[in-house]
Amino acid sequence: MNRVLYGRGAIPGAAEGFALVSRESIQGWSGLDLKTGVVIEKGHPFEGRTIKDAVLILPGGKGSNGWSIQFHSAKIAGIGPAAFVFPKMDSRTGVTAAVMCVPVVTDIEEDVFAIIKTGDWVRVDGDQGTIEVWNNELES
Amino acid sequence: MNLTDYEESMLQGREGALKQKAMEVIVRYANVLEAEELCQVTKAHLHCGAHHYLKAIKSGSIDSIISQMYFCSSQTIPLESVTCDCVSDVGPMCPFDWDQMGVTMEEFERDQEFLNHYVAAGVKLYGSCVPYLLGFIPLMGEHYVTSESHVVLMVNSIWGACGNSDGIEAGFCSAICGRTPLWGNHIMSNRKGTHVFEIQSSVETVFDWDVLGFTIGRKLPLHSIPILAGNFTRPDIYKLKACYASMATRSGPEMCHIVGITPEAITLEQALGNKKPQDTITITDKDLAETLNVFQGEGDVDYIGLGCPHYSLEEIRQVATFLEGKSISSHVVLHIWTSYAFKAMADQCGYTKMIERAGGRILTSSCPTTHDRLPAGITSLAFDSSKQAQDYLFSLSSPVFFGSMTDCLNAAIRGKWEGRR
Repeated sequence: MNRVLYGRGAIPGAAEGFALVSRESIQGWSGLDLKTGVVIEKGHPFEGRTIKDAVLILPGGKGSNGWSIQFHSAKIAGIGPAAFVFPKMDSRTGVTAAVMCVPVVTDIEEDVFAIIKTGDWVRVDGDQGTIEVWNNELES
Repeated sequence: MNLTDYEESMLQGREGALKQKAMEVIVRYANVLEAEELCQVTKAHLHCGAHHYLKAIKSGSIDSIISQMYFCSSQTIPLESVTCDCVSDVGPMCPFDWDQMGVTMEEFERDQEFLNHYVAAGVKLYGSCVPYLLGFIPLMGEHYVTSESHVVLMVNSIWGACGNSDGIEAGFCSAICGRTPLWGNHIMSNRKGTHVFEIQSSVETVFDWDVLGFTIGRKLPLHSIPILAGNFTRPDIYKLKACYASMATRSGPEMCHIVGITPEAITLEQALGNKKPQDTITITDKDLAETLNVFQGEGDVDYIGLGCPHYSLEEIRQVATFLEGKSISSHVVLHIWTSYAFKAMADQCGYTKMIERAGGRILTSSCPTTHDRLPAGITSLAFDSSKQAQDYLFSLSSPVFFGSMTDCLNAAIRGKWEGRR
């Protein structure tokens, strides 16, 4: 393990997976292919990547109020993310956390986007409010 | 967090299993937000219908699907009744001309089952993304929920009502238990503007306001509240509808003050709460042109969709008047999307006949994006809404054009997109 980040556990439980990290939020509605879990928002850093079993690290929600239901539907279909990290909570991400019930950590003071890179292996602990990071030397 | 006796009673299940499940979601949501208490919701605008995202659940029972998706319950609980003034948002098809978009009879019947289920629970079928044009007007300080992002901006900014962009599941839960977290825009002191947009570009038409909204959305930091200031001509509600729709889609603001127009922004100082803005951003014609660069090109067009957000009767009248004595190209499908209340009025006024004589159709209660499909054989699209155009830019490799209502109608007549005027 390379780093531990501390925040507030918003939804309890722990999960780990490869990180998908972007300072730019993604479109829930119309940005996600609900049959495959692949992000289709053109020009987004996640375009072409799947959210399945990933740890999504995003600054907030954007676009349609239907943000949460896209991820929720993906979860029910078995192609949802393993956990979320939202450094600052908003209403779109708040509902997403509340309905998905996968581990979520929020209220993180450090600049998560500078520390965690897409492809790093992370463990999100919603009981402790911690994020453990193993840097992926290959992608970085 | 602090719950009232009644809220605690709902949470403990003493008011029934449905209210209990709804309260569990709302309380979990409140804890995620660190809200200290809940507030009473009196109006709800709900995403009713057999929507595409529900297909993730394979079970056939509507109550089972609703229980899992909206109330996060593996146990099936019948949807008995909603507790506040509830109206429906757009559904996945037009309930009259559903075959126009390639919907099957089986899908239509399934959607009707869903809608009937909601009606039996007390939801009124508005079938529209512009419920505020149909009487869904929460007053200043009134707490509401909505599944439509631009409705949050409209109703918060123009009427001073209180709502967040908390979406589809939380909306249903609030409709059942009548509560939402007292957080964000439900607290009046949280609604002060943070970023001033000094509008130096010329914004006159509905199209200009749509482009302005998209442009502000491009430049607006997440979690900020824009204030529009400058010497623009006073917008009307149709221009704000277009502006707020594109702004909400491109970014995610839930409040947008306009100095001298919206009630919490009689002056710039009031909108800012007598604080300094975090930033002041100037919008010029160059910025609007940059937005339009996303939507470029010329060529054949075979589907034209107008009415995102749903057209008002006045906008339908403009289309009917423009098309009088003209006919659209034989290979073009022209759909005008609205609520069926306005469609009925358009029938009365003769606008529907005028549009149909030219080869167009008025469809209701839905829009292309909520269909998750297009009519067979359609490859190139044009819209008078950057919100709708942006949605298709993501999913289609063929051209998606964006222009004014007049640009779109001219393209419908020629069968070709020849740029914007």
